[in-house]
Amino acid sequence: MPRKSKDELKELNNEILVKDKSKSNSKSKSKKATSKTNKVSSKSEKAITKKGTSNSTSIQVPKSKKTSSRKNVAKKKTATAKKGITLSNVEYYDLPYRYNETVVKILAQTPTMLFIYWDISDADRKAYIDKYGEDFFNSTKPVLKVTNRTMNYSFEIDINDFANSWYLHVNDADCDYAVELGRRPIYSNSNIDNYIYVSTSNDMEMPNSHILFDKLGRSVFFKNVKTNYIEEKEISSLSFIRNLGKVYDIYELYKELYDGEINIEELDKENMRLNLSSSNSSTFK
Amino acid sequence: MTKEKGYVSFVLHAHLPFIHHPESEDYLEEQWLYEAISETYIPLLLNFQKLEEEKVDFRITMSLTPPLLNMLDNKLLQKRYIKYLKTHIELCEKELVRTKNDERVNKLSQYYLDRYTNDLHVFKDVYNCNLIEGFKHFQDVGVLEIITCGATHGYFPILYITEQTVKAQIAVGVQTYEKYFGKRPRGIWLPECGYIPEADKYLKEFGIDYIITESHGILYADPTPVYGTFAPIVSPEGVIAFGRDIDSSRQVWSSINGYPGDFNYREFYRDIGYDADYDYIKPYIASNGARVHTGIKYYRITGKNCDKDYYDIQWAKDSAEKQAGHFFDSRKAQIEKLSNITANPPIILCPYDAELYGHWWYEGPYWLYILFKKIYYDDCNFKLITPSEYIDKYPLMQVSTPCRSSWGANGYSEVWLNQTNDYVHKHLHVAGNRMVELAHLYPNEKKTSLRRKALNQCARELLLAQSSDWLFIITNGTMVDYAKKRIKDHIGRFTKLYYQITDDKIDADFLKQINKIDCIFPEIDYMIYY
Repeated sequence: MPRKSKDELKELNNEILVKDKSKSNSKSKSKKATSKTNKVSSKSEKAITKKGTSNSTSIQVPKSKKTSSRKNVAKKKTATAKKGITLSNVEYYDLPYRYNETVVKILAQTPTMLFIYWDISDADRKAYIDKYGEDFFNSTKPVLKVTNRTMNYSFEIDINDFANSWYLHVNDADCDYAVELGRRPIYSNSNIDNYIYVSTSNDMEMPNSHILFDKLGRSVFFKNVKTNYIEEKEISSLSFIRNLGKVYDIYELYKELYDGEINIEELDKENMRLNLSSSNSSTFK
Repeated sequence: MTKEKGYVSFVLHAHLPFIHHPESEDYLEEQWLYEAISETYIPLLLNFQKLEEEKVDFRITMSLTPPLLNMLDNKLLQKRYIKYLKTHIELCEKELVRTKNDERVNKLSQYYLDRYTNDLHVFKDVYNCNLIEGFKHFQDVGVLEIITCGATHGYFPILYITEQTVKAQIAVGVQTYEKYFGKRPRGIWLPECGYIPEADKYLKEFGIDYIITESHGILYADPTPVYGTFAPIVSPEGVIAFGRDIDSSRQVWSSINGYPGDFNYREFYRDIGYDADYDYIKPYIASNGARVHTGIKYYRITGKNCDKDYYDIQWAKDSAEKQAGHFFDSRKAQIEKLSNITANPPIILCPYDAELYGHWWYEGPYWLYILFKKIYYDDCNFKLITPSEYIDKYPLMQVSTPCRSSWGANGYSEVWLNQTNDYVHKHLHVAGNRMVELAHLYPNEKKTSLRRKALNQCARELLLAQSSDWLFIITNGTMVDYAKKRIKDHIGRFTKLYYQITDDKIDADFLKQINKIDCIFPEIDYMIYY
């Protein structure tokens, strides 16, 4: 990090952080819940919390197939010392620690890896404490309810108050997911409800991870983009469909290009199977 | 050859993040632009010009991204590029003396002197310091199709949690294009080829016909495209997608046997910035004394784990010609095979980073030149084409939704979302939401009002924070400090302005100062976030 001298820092730190009044008072109360930590103990059975396991190794530091080289103009050292030639005020910013909002957001990192981050605002924290008592956050634990809306199932994982983001493996690619943040009592004899809802995330449709031969129906549609005329073509009537396998006979290359891909083996098996079935299928002759 | 059996379409993506520091000359990152001008943009233009003079009909497509256009159009950066060239010329003159006892190196010193001198001539006298005009010329004569890109190369699959921010990336991308080229772009290079179906409606709204996707953007599309990447598909919203050909990109990109690794080619990592005596080279490296690349490189790749031999321009050219022949033959064979399979003549789409050509692969522009000449003159079953021309010629295409994908490692979002950079996203999302909020709180501010200026600057800061480049650099592990600083600066300036606007206490001096630095998109209208 390019650090300024201490003096500069003192002077400038005020700029942003103090600006958000709510932020300053939030710090004292919420220290537990926000700091992202590596100590995530993924005790939950299937919870497959990537974060806990992948900290050291698997963060797939991308080999950057192509974009790789663009800017690693190697070995240059950054010279970020500012002279402040035209700027009279030297600026220094730190990213806001948090935004004091109750929020759950999810992003798709890969077809089967969700990234989730969350926070609970001070006002909401206070409301929970007012309702359930001073000890609320100590006697409950956060949970994430993951719902696959496409296949209509959900599962829950335990998290902890030391984390504010999580990588979560999901089994089914190409599906719509949403994640709900809630809390459950740690002790069964607690007088708190069994489940307290906190917030729901955005919806996220995960990318597809394989060739969808199996979804290919009996016909496909072609559109003339000049006239917008759409015509339906029966797959069986298309002579070229016999060549589909040839068109897609690129898996060897594909494997080389994406040899880091986690489920390439699985994809490959599936692909071979599908290739086989499509070339044997009578509809394609 | 009477009728072509297929087409090859080259798409070069020219992009650099917006780096502009009037407050200091010490930012080495600014040199990315100068290096790219000298090693990629001018060489490409000169080769296009040679082809034009030799009356070789060719086609190429280039995305010139909005940040790049803004930088090429920036007077200060133009001035500093000239200074960069003059310093290099001075260094080359010293090199001529220093290397006078070694004929082979001395010849190279002379070559670099000629080259930088010519760059200065071309830049100042031919293009009047404005390379955009140079590219525009080739678009106007019909050999080059220029397409646009997201405003600041923001990565859609992560930004779209606030959809208006994706819309704004597209809107400003199109507006910037219109400003410089006087018409609407037909195509867009999605930043990092990051495709999400949710962006389609905005692409349509701004008149975009087509996008470029990574191979599996097509191969994994739904329903499966029956011609693979060898024909475009059209999404239900009406956006046409062309997918990268796997075969041809492997030939160029493969780190093991890709073309740029030829032993006769120039070795990127042996530079006099590192090799020369420290006191001698000190005036030409970083002002803090750190050794950096100067662009003057005397060695060829030579081989693996061996002493490096001197670079030989003629040998390098021979290799480029040989490889152009190989690429040509491979495409011929590929098209011969494919033309029996597809309904329309197949299209082989070859997208690359423009900066690969010349900057990383020094001989790349020459390779292109030779290849284009071969395609024109030799017995050939294919022609060069731009995606637009292909669409106009073969408008019938399968309806299918491309797969969410990118061209980063492993094909999805890992490069821009991983444990090194995931802390950034919540800031981007909040700033995005706040920008939308501001537009709704203060719609249609008067043209002259200070608040309008502040709102427009907020939009600039947000866009600059969204550049996928910062995330990429953090993942990549080089120049990380700079990338992190840029994220902090833009989020910091945005946040400060946000509170100034909502507290109705806009600091006009502060606004003026950050506007001097972050001066991208002078005509921006924050109402794109409305």
